[in-house]
Amino acid sequence: MSTDVAGVRITGLRKRYGDTVALAGLDLVARPGEILGIAGPNGAGKSTMVKILAGEVRWDEGEILVDGEPWSSDFGSDRVAVVHQETLLFPNLTVGENVVAGWENDGWRWPRAGDEHHALFDELGILRLRNVPLGELGLAVQQRTEMARALVRDARVMLFDEPNSALTPDESREFFRLAHQLADAGRVVMLISHRLQELATHSDRVAVIMDGRCVRVIEGADKTAETIAETLVRGLGTSAAADAEPVVRNGRTIGESTLELVRVTDTRRLFRDLDFSVPKGHVTALIGVEGSGGREILRACAGLRRVHGTVRVNGRAVRQAQLGSYVSYVAADRASSLFSNLSVGENLVIRLDREISRGALGLRTRRMASLAEELRREFHVKSDGIDIGIRSLSGGNQQKVAIAAAVGAKPAVLALEEPTRGVDISSKAEIYEILRRFVADGGAVVLFCTEIPEVYEVADQLHVVYDGRLSQPLAVADFADMEALAKAVASLETHGSVAPAA
Amino acid sequence: MAQVSNATPAAPAVPGSRYSWARTTLARLGGVTLAVIAVGAYFSIRTNGQMLVGSNLLGILRGLSSIAIMGFGLTVVIIAGEIDLSFAAVYGLSTNIVAVLWVTHGWPVYVAILIAFLAAVAVGVFNAFFTAVVKIPSFIATLGSSTLVFGLTLYIGQTQNISYQYPPIGKTVSHGSTSFFHDLGAASLPGGFPEEGIWAIGALLLFSFLLARTLFGFRLKAIGGSRAAAAVVRLPVTRYIFLAFIIGACMACLAGILDLSFVGSASPDDGQADLFPVFAAVIIGGASLAGGKGSAIGTVGGALLLAVLANGFALIASGPFASQILLGTVTVGAVVIDRFTSKRSTA
Repeated sequence: MSTDVAGVRITGLRKRYGDTVALAGLDLVARPGEILGIAGPNGAGKSTMVKILAGEVRWDEGEILVDGEPWSSDFGSDRVAVVHQETLLFPNLTVGENVVAGWENDGWRWPRAGDEHHALFDELGILRLRNVPLGELGLAVQQRTEMARALVRDARVMLFDEPNSALTPDESREFFRLAHQLADAGRVVMLISHRLQELATHSDRVAVIMDGRCVRVIEGADKTAETIAETLVRGLGTSAAADAEPVVRNGRTIGESTLELVRVTDTRRLFRDLDFSVPKGHVTALIGVEGSGGREILRACAGLRRVHGTVRVNGRAVRQAQLGSYVSYVAADRASSLFSNLSVGENLVIRLDREISRGALGLRTRRMASLAEELRREFHVKSDGIDIGIRSLSGGNQQKVAIAAAVGAKPAVLALEEPTRGVDISSKAEIYEILRRFVADGGAVVLFCTEIPEVYEVADQLHVVYDGRLSQPLAVADFADMEALAKAVASLETHGSVAPAA
Repeated sequence: MAQVSNATPAAPAVPGSRYSWARTTLARLGGVTLAVIAVGAYFSIRTNGQMLVGSNLLGILRGLSSIAIMGFGLTVVIIAGEIDLSFAAVYGLSTNIVAVLWVTHGWPVYVAILIAFLAAVAVGVFNAFFTAVVKIPSFIATLGSSTLVFGLTLYIGQTQNISYQYPPIGKTVSHGSTSFFHDLGAASLPGGFPEEGIWAIGALLLFSFLLARTLFGFRLKAIGGSRAAAAVVRLPVTRYIFLAFIIGACMACLAGILDLSFVGSASPDDGQADLFPVFAAVIIGGASLAGGKGSAIGTVGGALLLAVLANGFALIASGPFASQILLGTVTVGAVVIDRFTSKRSTA
């Protein structure tokens, strides 16, 4: 096999979902013996690419060659193995049985699961565990089981999608050691990650995917977390930030706190002894990668994650079960923030139980309709009236409904998880406008984001979250442009301190 | 991988015990065994040893046999992660088909039995088609087919009891075929051992082997454990669902024919009373409604517990309410235990 056909070669790959373009002519080459890192913001098309390679989704146009052969769904997991964030295994079978399921060599008998794969299990450190039911084991072992499954089938391509987002540092280190071994043995290893420092350290090349295309392949001396961060920001900057109006930010003087977490510790130890306050009249952002703890801190703010410690609202201690009446929370995925079986209007007023009910049983339907119509106008939800199903709206308008419903409940604090994920640019701007108005009226907003442009556009101050710890607050107004902010965040995520401004 | 590294991988901790699966199975079976012993002891004392009389024990064995035979089929379906509510109706369909074709229409008994099995296969295919191909939940598909089959049974049997020992006026049944059919499930064996018990023991051996020693059992368990993972490794899910439902229906058909042989007559509502006890036996025996878990021996244990309970209550003549109340309690208790044991294993 000549070297120029070996590996994975993706040319002009296109995929649309309705009106949404997920892949717009993706070109990517992954060579045997290397680790190809893949970076990109949420919604850039990475997960679509993963699904296509795993055979879960068909693509519209383009070509994928694996070792010179056109990709076919017959490859299945035998040729291209995808290790997802959440593993796809049988919890009721043992580790060894999981590895051989679908690949049994024992005729009609119950497979012996493992004697012939002794060395492989040993190498992956799962030999002792091969007779233990998988459901009793942690994610790290499950991932190794998926790796073993792929290796038994002699998979040529291993694609890891956010492999270590839920691993401990030790497990992470071990994971990368194994990934390097796979590459050294001549396999194609692709690694999708949000952790730029790890991409820079462990990949031979890093491909940056944005808007369904590969915008840059970073290699050699350029391959640093900072360069990747800048590439990500510059690509986004041209599309999103340029046509947005300049934001009127609140000054640097941070006023009194609306919501305070005092020495709180997560019951699952994702963060401990954490102090965090959300000031009145400001948008505060938590920025961090998956697994940093940022998402969980936000949920703790909304009373949705059990913590030990004190939570105060407007200076008064509040029990966690009661936090919900002060804090309105909107989840990142619309499946958890909206009721897909209800209409636009019903979704808008669902949080207003006191206004729409009479006594314990009566439902004031006319009042519901007028309230919903009011909210729809106020928040510029584009829909044909309030009676149509929520699912007939565009993604951006659905998100506006979710946020309008939260704001309409008149909370003291809005807690939003990635408020503009998968949302078009004009809806993005409108959502930011809603948040600015909310804080201008004296509310407080806390966001969890993974994208720097979002923070730059809407937040007044931010904390970088890493390993369950918060950085000192940074005032967004202190940074001249988005790239300066991106640099500071990248260096906080990797070194724990801000590098001196260049 | 090409080279073996010397670095010791960060060793993940072995949970609790590496034989914990064996321990949970034992605990579970042990639980059922203990329950059987406790219940048996209680009733033996209450009845002054009447329960332990040989003929009574053999009666218990016969009582649980047809529950266990149906239970094996249901166990297969439940391990695959599906539900079958139609087996009880299939049981009634088979008794009525055999009785009508053979006794009323005078067909050869072998042909009648063959057609009953073909009808069972057809119901299994129907269930599997709507579950695996049309992809509606098997609960709905088999609820529908159960009612449909029951209607068909009423039509075929013309809602009459048909006895092969005492054929209706004007019908005759050859002596040879009567004695063949009688010997299927009601032959007299040494010591009065019930023949249906032999069938049940044979089925127990067969299903234990099938579920615990064969590729079929392995893949069935995998498919019930995770459909998503089964898709990744390309297990033949559709084929296995077809097989599971067909096996489920055929075991119900077998139980129906054996019971018809023993009881002597077919009635329109045959099998309707068995739906709940069979489910209870399978669930008490450790099969998980979530799929991927269950065993033939467990199902026998569940059937044994129910049979001892039913027999005990009959002996002390406590009235039907007590046995129903206890049956309900035992079933809920078994599912609660299942919930806690399966929770522990996925934590």
